[in-house]
Amino acid sequence: MLNEIQKQIERIKAKGATYVDSRWYPFENTNFLMMLNGNLKTTAMAGESGIGIRVLYKGAWGFSASSDVSTLPALFDKAFDNARIAAERVTFPVRLAEKDIIEAKFESPCQINPFDVPLAEKVAFLKEMDDKLNQPGVFQRLSSLAFVRKQIVFVDSEGSHIEKLITEVFAGMEVDGQDSQGGQQERKFKLGRVGDSRGWESIDRQLFQENADRIVKELNQVLVADDCPKEDRSVILLPGIMYLQTHETIGHALELDRILGYELAFAGGSFVTLNDFGKLQYGSPKLTARADATIVNSPGSFGFDDDGVPAQNKILIDKGLLVGAITGRQMVEEANAKARKSIFSGSGGANRATSFYRVPIERMTNINIDPGQDGTLDDIVKNTEKGIILDGDRSWSIGSNREQFHFGEEIGWLVDDGKVTRVVKNSTHKGDTVKFWNSLSAVGDQTTWKVGFVDNCGKGQPNQVMQLGHGIPVCRFDNVRIGE
Amino acid sequence: MKDRILKTLQDLRAYALNKGYEVTLAYHEEDSYLMRFANSAISLNTNEHLIRLEVTAYDDRKRASYEMITDLGKVDEMKKAIDSAAELVVHAQPLNYQPTIPTFSETFIDESGYDATLAQISNKERLDYFNQASAGLETDDIKLSGIFANGSTTLAQINTRSEHTQYFKTSDAQVSVVISHATLKWEVQAEQSAWRKADLKAASLHSDLAFLVERYKNDAPQQLALGSYDIVFGSAATADMVNFMNYIGFNGGLMKRGYSFLSEEKVGQRVFSDKFSLSDDARSLDTFPFKRDFMGKVRGDHPLFARGVFQGYVWSQDDADEFATQSTSHTVPHKSLVVAGGDKDVRTLRDLVSMPHDKDILYIPFLHYMNIVNPTKGLITASSRFGALLIKKDGSVVVPYNVRITQSLLDVFGEKVAWLSQATEAYNTSASYGARNPSSIVVPAFLCVRDLEISHSNSSY
Repeated sequence: MLNEIQKQIERIKAKGATYVDSRWYPFENTNFLMMLNGNLKTTAMAGESGIGIRVLYKGAWGFSASSDVSTLPALFDKAFDNARIAAERVTFPVRLAEKDIIEAKFESPCQINPFDVPLAEKVAFLKEMDDKLNQPGVFQRLSSLAFVRKQIVFVDSEGSHIEKLITEVFAGMEVDGQDSQGGQQERKFKLGRVGDSRGWESIDRQLFQENADRIVKELNQVLVADDCPKEDRSVILLPGIMYLQTHETIGHALELDRILGYELAFAGGSFVTLNDFGKLQYGSPKLTARADATIVNSPGSFGFDDDGVPAQNKILIDKGLLVGAITGRQMVEEANAKARKSIFSGSGGANRATSFYRVPIERMTNINIDPGQDGTLDDIVKNTEKGIILDGDRSWSIGSNREQFHFGEEIGWLVDDGKVTRVVKNSTHKGDTVKFWNSLSAVGDQTTWKVGFVDNCGKGQPNQVMQLGHGIPVCRFDNVRIGE
Repeated sequence: MKDRILKTLQDLRAYALNKGYEVTLAYHEEDSYLMRFANSAISLNTNEHLIRLEVTAYDDRKRASYEMITDLGKVDEMKKAIDSAAELVVHAQPLNYQPTIPTFSETFIDESGYDATLAQISNKERLDYFNQASAGLETDDIKLSGIFANGSTTLAQINTRSEHTQYFKTSDAQVSVVISHATLKWEVQAEQSAWRKADLKAASLHSDLAFLVERYKNDAPQQLALGSYDIVFGSAATADMVNFMNYIGFNGGLMKRGYSFLSEEKVGQRVFSDKFSLSDDARSLDTFPFKRDFMGKVRGDHPLFARGVFQGYVWSQDDADEFATQSTSHTVPHKSLVVAGGDKDVRTLRDLVSMPHDKDILYIPFLHYMNIVNPTKGLITASSRFGALLIKKDGSVVVPYNVRITQSLLDVFGEKVAWLSQATEAYNTSASYGARNPSSIVVPAFLCVRDLEISHSNSSY
């Protein structure tokens, strides 16, 4: 197969293509189980294999994909033909940033292949969690397990050949209840990084049991709580909502394809312009954010992106100052040319596709906030006069240029004069992105820093769902509108 | 090809019966094309041809599924998928209710929504369409973006309970043309949905875009004051809100799970404006309908709200089984939602701007990133996008920065409704996550709602 792919790449190059690559998935297996109120609603396995071909011709991309690899020449020709018609409307011919030729293998850390674990054991785990969640106050309980294992063979016309074996584990629990007004309330636990590998070994029973008790207890507190007041307060975001704040208002806003207008037809643009790099005070000096695809054990750490560029650790915001973006080979060349200066020194290694039948685009890796010097959560609370602690993503809506946002949370704890006073329900907070990040007044230390996983980040046309991570501390922001 | 697909399913059924399995088989084939534009260039030109087979195995109250991406020639691989599903179901846990296994009483074939000339439209035609829709609107600063997505979807089903098959084939196109300013960051959009080639009208999109571009190019944008406005929603915004109602409104299963702003005692009562009627009308080809559901039930016109009166919840078979009620022929990947037109004779944005009105009107064509803030209150939030206008009562027009609304659907479609346009249009709601599933909602071109508050007003784009 590899020989045939390389032969076809050479053939298309000979027809005039300036670059060709292929991503062959010998297999991608998924397993999803979902238990709802004791009912194993979903027991699903899926398997797919196929190949995606990308061709660059006269500055334009063509792509073609199929699950049928027996017709490779026709598939390569189709991708070439698609590029040829695209070349009829080119305004900025695609150029690719330099990269090293790489011959390498990458395996995500996994001790126990979840596909070797008997289904009965997985079902028993869900049943155990379901039983644990089945407590007074819980109107509905849900627990789920999702596993992915895929092999990707990347070959390009520049001589790179990279093979990856990726294993993903996502798991979570949710309890819902009805408050005294009949309103739906919820509390969730999502598995993040535990240890240095994410095979079946990351399904830590004790961790799930502890969190089952916690979310049930907190749900019951919410059910009898008053509504969140509508006023301005300091908001202390725990990692369970801080990850989303970071994801939506730093991560997406700093995808270079969005900044350059490549997502305007759907996902939207960004308030950030090329002139802002090195100038825009994105946040307070307490904010340092990075795209770090090198941390051990996260869906945002994948060895090499789908341009064949090694994973990197890049600073995006340095002590509040915007300095970097989430980038791939094409966009850095275009950005530098349009800015008439070198803003980006090569690809940031963040071009990824969700499957063999989708084209790579700029995706978040691990978009992290560095831990700060403001102590533990308790320390931050003690130093807060009038605030609210928020946790749990319940609702999120962001402006098309990521310039403003509105988030809803599962739970809030009011803080007055340095003390937690009471739980409130229907908590929300909203704001303008730059103003909000510049109001960052406290960043928790390493004890508050957690790596959470995201398995459902959507972007692109055709649409793609991507997996990634966020390493996040507890953070406090001042003068934020809550309760709307 | 149809015969080959159905023959393959018959062979697979025979294999399953021979092995003593109880299964349903769902075949999905898509031929997808997407030409994407950005910065006035074709940024991506792609096509995918994918065949999926989903096998669901049953063993009394146990159920498990195996899905694969495959090829019609790989029958042995498909048989292995059947074996895999049968093996999975052994280890599944019984449900606490009896799942209904579909039994088709007759073979049903529907290709009425398939137009080969649309499904197989050429690269050159896609490009020509875009060139026409954007002709004369681009400059060095004003750029073209958008997509021309089209393709065909074939769904075929069989099960071990009967030898009959169901076969659906549709063609579809979703076109979105965006004109935006590279540095000022304003953006306007016009869209079209089609199930046949004759529905594609580049000139219509061009007319809408030209009208909006003229205003956005020449007017300085303004930050709107917070407060109440008479808001006219365009078809995209209305369709998006109706689509959310599909989840947190009249869905029986979600209601039972606490995710509905309606309640069972509201059935038969007026919950919305008497100007608002919504049905699930599988007769409308514009909605890429399923005229049978996946249990083999006939689907026709199913009223959901008649002059504001709630007609009842809809139930998929699985929800109906779980909650011990009757399904309502809604075991389908998408419904065929149709909002009836009203009495206002306004067809185009030009009509809207030129019609007399006693108060300023905020026109919101599109709502970006809608989400549910509180399902039991029907509370949603979203921001305006793609060409909002403040149409002053003196006839002048102001270009506003985007605003956020956080409102209950009970208010948006309730007593505050002032009027709906007579003219309706199909708004394409297809997402291209996973398997191709073209969908659209037919809504009035314009819906006017009095005194809705905006909760956030941008000071820039």
